[in-house]
Amino acid sequence: MISFLQYVIRRTFQNIRRNLFPNLTTIGIIGISLLIFSTFALISFNLTSFLKIWEDKIEVIAYLKKGTPLREVEGLLKKSRQIEGVEGVTYVSPFDAMAFLESRLGKQKNLLQGIQTVVLPPSFEIQLKKEYRNSIRIKEVVSQLKQFPEFEEIQYGQEWVETFSALVHILRLTQWILGGLFLGGIIFIISNIFRLTISSRQEEVEIMQLVGASPAFVRVPFYVEGLIQGLLGGGLAIFFLYLLHKIFFLQIPLSIQTWLAGIPIHFLPPGTVLWVLIGGMVLGFFGSFVASMKLLRYSE
Amino acid sequence: MIQMNHVSKTYPNQASALSDITLEISSGEFVFIAGPNGSGKTTLLRILFGAERPSSGEVVVNGMTITERGFNKVYSLRRTMGIVFQDVKLLKDRTVSENILFALEVTGRSRKKAKNSVSEILSRVGLQEREGDSILSLSAGEQQRVAIARALINDPLLLLADEPTGNLDAQMTMDVMGIFTGLHLKGTTIVFATRDTDLIQGYPYRIIYLSEGRRVDVTKDQEVSAGE
Repeated sequence: MISFLQYVIRRTFQNIRRNLFPNLTTIGIIGISLLIFSTFALISFNLTSFLKIWEDKIEVIAYLKKGTPLREVEGLLKKSRQIEGVEGVTYVSPFDAMAFLESRLGKQKNLLQGIQTVVLPPSFEIQLKKEYRNSIRIKEVVSQLKQFPEFEEIQYGQEWVETFSALVHILRLTQWILGGLFLGGIIFIISNIFRLTISSRQEEVEIMQLVGASPAFVRVPFYVEGLIQGLLGGGLAIFFLYLLHKIFFLQIPLSIQTWLAGIPIHFLPPGTVLWVLIGGMVLGFFGSFVASMKLLRYSE
Repeated sequence: MIQMNHVSKTYPNQASALSDITLEISSGEFVFIAGPNGSGKTTLLRILFGAERPSSGEVVVNGMTITERGFNKVYSLRRTMGIVFQDVKLLKDRTVSENILFALEVTGRSRKKAKNSVSEILSRVGLQEREGDSILSLSAGEQQRVAIARALINDPLLLLADEPTGNLDAQMTMDVMGIFTGLHLKGTTIVFATRDTDLIQGYPYRIIYLSEGRRVDVTKDQEVSAGE
């Protein structure tokens, strides 16, 4: 067993060294394929996390009828907090609303001069539990709130929430469909490259088979070679993706950088990086396996 | 050692390579398979070493049976024999010893044991002095001797040779035949396919003639013309 392992390791590295150009080509193509795939994953990851930030901001604002006595507000707060799906409720008085407006307008707050605080209705800001922050479940909370006659109007940006939910859904669906199609294409390309590299060593394989090398002795070094090529290809993809990620920040105009300052643009998380490397190894293995099935046959 | 019972080989394009061949080769025999180009010599040898399956009939080689369903452990069959071709099938970018070492390693010998075996195997074909030389620096005859040395790595009781002297001049052919007859004298069974009728006349061994995929019986007087 140990001598077999020694043989496999020695032979794999001999193969790589002796066939450096085809090996570098294969590593390069796996690298480019995975770079395209992981770029897509990076964009998708950042869009999803960006949309998650928005998702966290989804809340319901219920405006109270003017003149609602404060003692009723207390009771209404309690009842609102007990609704299924509600995480928290904050009472916003007309004074709070005015202060908020002033802070948002900043230097232009003089625009509010002459506006009476009393014209602003008191309201409840209702934060939802995570699973209720979507277009379908938010309606369950809203329909319960509508049963309280003390509320004049309930706003939750229905259209925006629905568009947002659809966007997230389409994005995730696209990620999987395109990802799947892309992966199929990559496997096809890689198995053909492996077929070419194994063909270029057909003479060597033929000699091995003629002298009676067992299938394991013939095939395993090719599989290990595929795993190594996949790992290196994956590493190359991650390296260039990291460079692209850095260059992206250096190249974008200052105005966009300021706008982006509030939106974190992350690199792929370590778990995903690991999956890209494992994915590369699986691709390498699968490519060499598919290619070797026909080419490494002993008899016709 | 070898038995072929009513073996035929037809390719998918319906071309018939062998037709109803029955033969028996005993252990320790030296047999020439003779016939012109396209007579089926190579197909017959390829069936014997499991590179092709017969379309019908049964082949028994070294106790292993090959039928139209093929044979699962072709590699174990090949470890019981040595195979030599006209085109020597050597790795041209490597040295003489590397070619032998490669064959020893891929059949599971430890590197240390394999290295020890290389000199011994090369001395059997008179090439011990050329161990470190590149294959490309050898003459055609020497390259064929390396190929024979490689065929000997499994200490085979059976040696299959497909036109091993086809590319050699008269002197080199004599050298190579000297090795084959030496191995035969030590007890190795040899099946030697050739179209060279002059060559087979010089040796007192059994000859099996093939013509258009069929075995033909030839009297001693007819041998020369049948082989041409």
